Amino acid sequence: MLYALMGLGLSLITGVLNIPNFAHGALFAIGAYLLVSAANLVGNFWVGLLLAPLGVALLGLMIEYAGIRRLYAAGHDYQLLFTFGLALILNELIIVIWGPVGISQLPPAILRGGVDLGFTFYPKYRLFVMVMAGMLVLLTWLFLEKTKYGAIMRAGIENKEMVSLLGIDIHKLFTFAFALGAFLAGIAGALTAPIRGLSPGMGVDMLGIAFVVVALGGLGNLLGAIAAGLLIGVAQAVVAAYWTEASTAVIFAVMALVLLIRPQGMFGIR
Amino acid sequence: MQRRDILKAGAAAATLGFPAIIRAQQKEVVILGLWDQTGAFADVGPLNDRGMRMALEERDMKILGRPVKYVTRDGATQAGTSTRRAEEAIDGEGARFMIGPWSSGVALAVSEVAKRKKVLHLFSGGTEDISGSRCHRYSFQWAASPYTAAKTVVDNFMKANPKAKRWHLLVADYAFGWSVEKYIKEVGKNHGIEFVGADRHPLGEREFSNYVQKAAANRPDVVVMINFGGDAVAGAREIFNFGLTPKVPLIMAWSSGVEELIQLSPEIRENLWVGTNFYYTVDTPVAKKFVADYRAKFKTPPGYAPSAAYSMTRLMLAAFDKAKSVEVQDVIKALEGIEVNDLLGQMRVDPATHQTLRPYFFLRCKPKAQMKEELDFATLIATGDAPLPKEYAACKDIGGF
Repeated sequence: MLYALMGLGLSLITGVLNIPNFAHGALFAIGAYLLVSAANLVGNFWVGLLLAPLGVALLGLMIEYAGIRRLYAAGHDYQLLFTFGLALILNELIIVIWGPVGISQLPPAILRGGVDLGFTFYPKYRLFVMVMAGMLVLLTWLFLEKTKYGAIMRAGIENKEMVSLLGIDIHKLFTFAFALGAFLAGIAGALTAPIRGLSPGMGVDMLGIAFVVVALGGLGNLLGAIAAGLLIGVAQAVVAAYWTEASTAVIFAVMALVLLIRPQGMFGIR
Repeated sequence: MQRRDILKAGAAAATLGFPAIIRAQQKEVVILGLWDQTGAFADVGPLNDRGMRMALEERDMKILGRPVKYVTRDGATQAGTSTRRAEEAIDGEGARFMIGPWSSGVALAVSEVAKRKKVLHLFSGGTEDISGSRCHRYSFQWAASPYTAAKTVVDNFMKANPKAKRWHLLVADYAFGWSVEKYIKEVGKNHGIEFVGADRHPLGEREFSNYVQKAAANRPDVVVMINFGGDAVAGAREIFNFGLTPKVPLIMAWSSGVEELIQLSPEIRENLWVGTNFYYTVDTPVAKKFVADYRAKFKTPPGYAPSAAYSMTRLMLAAFDKAKSVEVQDVIKALEGIEVNDLLGQMRVDPATHQTLRPYFFLRCKPKAQMKEELDFATLIATGDAPLPKEYAACKDIGGF
């Protein structure tokens, strides 16, 4: 579900702004670090979980407004280079602020330990993350499908010029899409912190997987991103149960297989 | 000034100056620190560099009256990159003495370069092959033999927990993991330990849930991790998240000590037992001074990585002193059989295998309430120095130059 959350945010940005956001992994990492800082500051994990993605969304908003927007006229390559450079800067910024040494964040006391599900033993916190990420994916999906602003965003993915001609401020749409994508990356990072811990390079692995999810689902295809995220997660879990060593390789094997059969991704490019 | 005068002055400078430069270059002893700055051990390389630099700076970057030129290369935790950059430093910089890298698998490849290029090579890691089946005259192993480590860990853990007979192993799938696993199983036989599971994971693994799920299903009395660095931290965290620790004890059989423990919160460290090549409370005069200097400089106590680099460099420098020479073969002969009272106490290099015979340390992490300060992670509960028994020794002939 976390993969779906990351893929959905990245797909949204790719679809609306038409740029692959290489800083998505760094935003994921900042979400995790902000959770730790906020949770330590107020002494409450849940408040941290609420504040961290909002902070990342705000950062996303600033990145679009102060950076990417200035480069629309310069062309696609410059935006791409900008997000790539930004990823490096954010990564170094994490080291400057939080240091190079890894950090552990404990789950809240109520979610520590595991539960016996009968067929397997599973950590309570991972179950919580599954439910929470599922709900977030559903809420994002409902927002995009059932609200007026969601419809505008989908229209922006389909045909930006037409949306602009209808009198809608396309720049506001871009800013909002980037901030929403950043929010989803931020909350995925915050939810991941107690599972994987924190290290400055934590976003790099996740960025690779998020791009796999986007390519697998179809570039800019939101439904595709959700389905691909789920497919990758399930494939990884199933393979890990029988052949643990291949659990990472399977992510890329599934992508290669699907793209060989459907180069446009499972749900096609939007 | 005439053009002719300038040419004369130039010729005079060339005659007088160049030989001086050449003489200076000949005097210089070039030592290579092959430390990873990128790849799986990117976090360890800078720490290795700290330790090696400290040991050289203690001697004012001089050996036998000659200046030491310390060069470093990033091996990227990859055999191809490490060997290429080592060769480049040997051919280009004139390095004749080399320490590193950190990964056992990579070091085995670098050891072949040392042999081919006839360069003295010191290494610290968990593979037994450098001083075992792939031993040769140019490479030396500083870390304890995997047997010494396994014997120290298993014997002392069983002494404290005689009923914990069902062991589940999580093993890093490369040379170091295989070596330590082999001897833990071997020593375990003497205690009647049943190994209910042994899963191998790739170097750089960060997703341990599936491994821990399998471990939990086996209902072990103890989980043992034979991995290192980020892998060990990720594994320990996941084992805690599954609720195995602190109910089930966790052993990190070959840990960096401080560098790993600092990344785990005290709750995760509860009921954690740690085998390590160095811990900062080791009670020797050299260790006390090194720890104090290191803390003054870097604020944290040193773990295995800087200490190994520091001690290997000191060992190499001691061999220079003993040889009274900077020729590679003279220094090798001096290292073979050298005995020093240094960082870990009494240390000796076995001339037959090039294995350093030295103590290995076993710690028990402290519960949060017993910690005197933030970095007071553990109590040193035992030290072991049982050497590899002859029947296991795979280095039959160290060979010639």
